Parts: sequence; structure tokens; C-alpha cells
Amino acid sequence: MQNMTRFLIKRILWLIPVLLGVYVLVFSVLYLCPGDPATFVLGTDATQEELDAFRHEYGLDQTYIVRLVNSMKATFLDFDFGKSYITGGSVGDQLKVRLPYTLLISYIGIALAVLIGIPLGIIAATNQNTWKDSLAILVSLFATSMPSFWFALILVMYFGLKLRILPTIGVESWKGYIIPCVATAIGGAAGIARQTRSSMLEVIRQDYIVTARAKGQKEFKVIGYHGLKNALIPVITIVGSNMAALVGNSLICENIFSIPGIGAYLISGVNRRDFPVVLGCVVVLCLIFSLTMLVLDIIYAVVDPRLRSIH
Amino acid sequence: MESVHKELLKIENLVVEYTSEDNIIHAVNGIDLDILEGETVGLVGETGAGKTTIAKSILRILPDPPAKICGGKIVFQGTDILQMKEEEIRSIRGRQISMIFQDPMTALNPTITVGKQIAEAVGLHEKLTKSERKQKAIQILEKAGISRERYDDFPHQFSGGMKQRAVIAMALVCSPLLLLADEPTTALDVTIQAQVLQMMSELKKEFHTSVLMITHDLGVVAETCDKVAVIYAGEIIEFGTAEDIFDHAAHPYTLGLFGSLPDLNSENRRLKPISGMMPDPAHLPAGCKFYDRCPHASPKCRNSVPDKRKLGQSHYVRCFYSGGNV
Ligand SMILES: Nc1ncnc2c1ncn2[C@@H]1O[C@H](COP(=O)(O)OP(=O)(O)OP(=O)(O)O)[C@@H](O)[C@H]1O
Ligand SMILES: [Mg+2]
Repeated sequence: MQNMTRFLIKRILWLIPVLLGVYVLVFSVLYLCPGDPATFVLGTDATQEELDAFRHEYGLDQTYIVRLVNSMKATFLDFDFGKSYITGGSVGDQLKVRLPYTLLISYIGIALAVLIGIPLGIIAATNQNTWKDSLAILVSLFATSMPSFWFALILVMYFGLKLRILPTIGVESWKGYIIPCVATAIGGAAGIARQTRSSMLEVIRQDYIVTARAKGQKEFKVIGYHGLKNALIPVITIVGSNMAALVGNSLICENIFSIPGIGAYLISGVNRRDFPVVLGCVVVLCLIFSLTMLVLDIIYAVVDPRLRSIH
Repeated sequence: MESVHKELLKIENLVVEYTSEDNIIHAVNGIDLDILEGETVGLVGETGAGKTTIAKSILRILPDPPAKICGGKIVFQGTDILQMKEEEIRSIRGRQISMIFQDPMTALNPTITVGKQIAEAVGLHEKLTKSERKQKAIQILEKAGISRERYDDFPHQFSGGMKQRAVIAMALVCSPLLLLADEPTTALDVTIQAQVLQMMSELKKEFHTSVLMITHDLGVVAETCDKVAVIYAGEIIEFGTAEDIFDHAAHPYTLGLFGSLPDLNSENRRLKPISGMMPDPAHLPAGCKFYDRCPHASPKCRNSVPDKRKLGQSHYVRCFYSGGNV
């Protein structure tokens, strides 16, 4: 347990350089990218004075280093993400409002993927070389090969436009979440199912599974307890890589469905050279991602005792 | 002495095959074997002879596919195990019949504590509270020489010998009527081997457990077995009391293995290698399976399989050569 705490503290401390590094990187890319925010925001017919005033207000007239240091100080010490160039409103406030939408969609998507993928993989593995297995392989192969926005559009066409039982955009009611969540989940579910199947096939050949049977354990528990506990270890890795896709998914899904989340905010920031918005969104997404990976690492250690003793 | 004991397990004409892509492996070819209450029966033979397959058939835990029990009966306390429903055999597994697996390194689940795995076996067969189950698991672990502090350890924190003992503890925790011990001492060094055998014999005394002792070690046979079955290419070619087999062996194969047995206390207690190889179980010869390696082979042996020939009260041999009793 003491090991575990040390491991946790170490992992949390690691977040600091990761976040700082990402910040510097994104800041520099934005700094280097062509296009002057002032002209972009005020338009080409703005006077020189107007442009200068704008630049001064947002500190754009200072050197790279000064701007970087100032903006990092504000972000990481005062948790102030600055003002939007376009609206002049606080980026931090916007992020706070938008974060729940993104979290909801991403995590429901992942949870759905896990809940569909793992049982599917187990069924395929325990029925190896039967039609159930072949069907599961075929469906998951198809689902992994198709991008999630394609599923989103299919679902919108069928349930939204043809059957008219689900809203096609917006999240005013809970129904609005169904299509985006399912669309994000499908690809992930397929990947998880394939990994679960192959690691389960490996695991059910092991001696300790026979030991569990020889004890008189029920087949359901032999597979679901003794088998799954071991088969899950590589599956967690796949869930982790789905987490990485989560960022991309939120960008696409939020735009397709006009969901006012971080992803949609990020895209609008990029399109309008609204650097504080871009930086704020990236920091938040990076934080979500890192924290999720941390949770996965903890799950890893819980599931696999051999890892625990290494840390 | 045997007459007072009742029959516990009776295997009749058991046939087991493994099906692989292009051929059928005849692993067990019509075996008869009786085990009486409280008795230890040794099962000895070369690697690949079918020993583990027999033990797993008794618990019906062979991997299917590829394994298939093609015929025979395994009668345990009057009921044929092979005809039982899934729930019936499950209530016997671990409770009335349990097995010590050949490889202790892989027999324990790496993600569950050793103590929990043993307590699980208790919980499956006895209605006890959680703490009673734990208590019982701790007791058996301590009997096996593993201190109670190690209850919450995971298998990877155990040494090989400790794993072996934990596996034995797990098999014995519900005090079974029949223990299938598949080479329980091969993974151990000599001193721990002695301890483990000691422990098994104590438990045997306490619970009056019968044992099917699979081993390559003649010392173990001499020390623990009342009867011995010698198996060759999936057939029992000689069976008898330990004395019959050690002192009056009749089959040339048994003679090769046991005949010139050196001093039991010397290093060389393993089965003696015999020149030649066991026939490929996918392409078994028509007659006696030992034909190729037999010093007394005659044309008759090539074409027909020898029947059981009775030599004593329980002693029989499957061999045509009768001058073998040297
Ligand atoms: N899962 C399997 N698939 C295919 N063939 C198998 C399988 N398990 C065992 N066999 C074959 O069945 C025969 C008997 O194997 P078994 O494991 O019963 O031998 P054994 O007497 O226990 O040998 P050892 O002393 O090496 O443990 C061997 O020819 C082996 O190759
Ligand atoms: Mg074996």
C-alpha cells in the first residue's frame, strides 16, 4: 500500500512537466503560425492605432519569451486562462461551462465501449470457431475500420431523419446524447472486443483455469472471475489508446452535433486565431487525458499484482 | 489387508483421444484401474504415456476440444462420472476428488492471492462465513508449512516449493476422498520433497484419503504406494502391489524400469531409461506397443495385443513372454 501511495505521488508529480511541455509546444506553434490575430479579429480595414491598441491590450507587442512567461504564470499560478480575442470574455468561465459536456460524452462513450466490447470479446472467445465467434470478428473488423463520424452520420440519417425518434443536433434533452455517445463508442467497442477475445483465448488455455475448474467452480465464474481478471490486463491498454482517440472524437462529434463542449470551442478558437481559447482548451484536454491515464494506471496496478510490487 | 477396504474408484476400459488437425492421438487405450479406500496407487511410465490424461479424465477437466473421452466408465462410489450431469461432477470436483497439478508454477492464478484461492475452494463446498473460510485456508496452509502471514501474498511472491505446497494445500483443504497427485514432488529439491511427502502421508492418515500417485520417482513409489500401475503408450502393461512390481516384475518394460533398481537411498532414483522410443501415439502399432524395444519380442507380439495374464492376487501383466519372472 505504501508502494502504491509513492507510485501515485510520483505519477501526479509527473503531470507537471507534461502539462508545461504541452503548453510551451502549443504556444510556440501558435506564435510561429502565420496570420496576425489583430488584423484577423479587427478586420483589414482597422486603423494602425486600433491595431496597436488591440496588440497592447492583449500583450501581443511583447517578445516571445515575455508573452510565454506571462501567459504561463497566469495559467498555472492564478488559473487565469485570459480573455478571448473575439468576445473579450473570460476563457476560464467558458471552459467551466463547456467541460461537463465533453466529459459526459467522452466518458459515456468509453463506458459504453467497455460494456459492449468486453462481453462481446468473451462470448467470441468462449465460442471459438463457431458462428458466434465469426460473427463477432466480422462485425468488429467492420466497426474498427470505419471512422466514428461515419457512424454518427448513419445514425443521424436513420434515427434522426428517417425514424425521427432522436434529435439530430444539440443536447437540450438526454436524448441528444444518445447518437454522439453511441457513435464514439462503436469503434472503441470493436477494438476492445478484439483485444478481449484474443487475450481471453490465451488465458483460458492456462493451467490456473483448469485449477479453478478442478476446484468445482462454476464455468461462468471460471471465465468471468479467474479468466477475466487476467485477460483484462492487455484490454486496459486498449482502453488507454481509446482515451487518446477521445480527444479527436470530441472535436469531431461536438462539431457534427453542435454540442457546446471543449472540442467545439477549440475548433472555433483555431479558426479565428483566438489563441487564449486554443491554449485553454489544449491545457484542459491534456489534463483530462493525463488524469484518465493515471486512473488507468491505478486500475492496472489493482488488476495485476505483479506490477504493484515493481513500483 | 485389501479385503477390508472398499472400492472407491473403478476405471473400466477408458479410451481417450486427442484430435489434432490431421491425426488422432491415442493417448489412453482401454485402461482398467481400481483404487480402494485409503489406498495409494502409483501410476508410473515414461513421458507421454497418458498419465495426466487419465487423472484429468477422472475429474472431467480435459480440454475439449481437442480431447475426447471415447469410451469406458469411471465409477466413483457407485456412479459413473462420465454419465454425470455438469452440476453433479462439479460438486465432486475439489470436494470428493481433487487434483495436485503437475506444474505448480502455472497452476495458481497470478492475479488472486494464494489465500483467497484456497478459501475459494472451501467456499465452493462448505457453507461457512467468510472468516471461517479464511480460518480454514490458514489452517491448511500452516499444515503445509506456510505461515499465516503469507495468506495475502500473490503467487509470484512465493518460491517454487511454496507454490507446490500451496497447490497441495488447495487440493487437500476440503479433505477429499481421492487425491490425484500428478508428480507432486518433481519441482522440489530433495529435502522439501521429503517434507511434502511427509505432509501428504499425515493428511492421508488423518482423512483416510486414497491417492493416485503419478510419478517418475521410484523412491516416491517405494515410500508411498500400496499398488503400482505401469503404463506404456496408454495401456497398463503391469499392475500389482508395490512388492509385486519391485520384486516380481514380469513385463520386460517394468523390468527395465525397476529390475536393476539401485539402492533407494542413492542419487539414482529416477526411472531407468530404456533404449528406444515409445511409439508415436498417433500411429500406434497393431500388436504389443512395446514390440520395438522388447528384448523378448516374438512374431506373435507383432500382430496381436497380449491380454491380461494374472500372476497373483492383484498382480497381472500384459505380455506373452512368460519366462520373464527372473
Ligand atoms: N492438449 C493436448 N492436445 C493434443 N495432444 C495432447 C494434449 N495433451 C496431451 N496430449 C498427448 O497425449 C499423450 C499423453 O499425454 P499426457 O499428458 O497424459 O502424458 P503424461 O504421461 O502425463 O506425460 P508426462 O510424464 O510428460 O507428464 C501425449 O502423446 C501427448 O502428446
Ligand atoms: Mg503429465
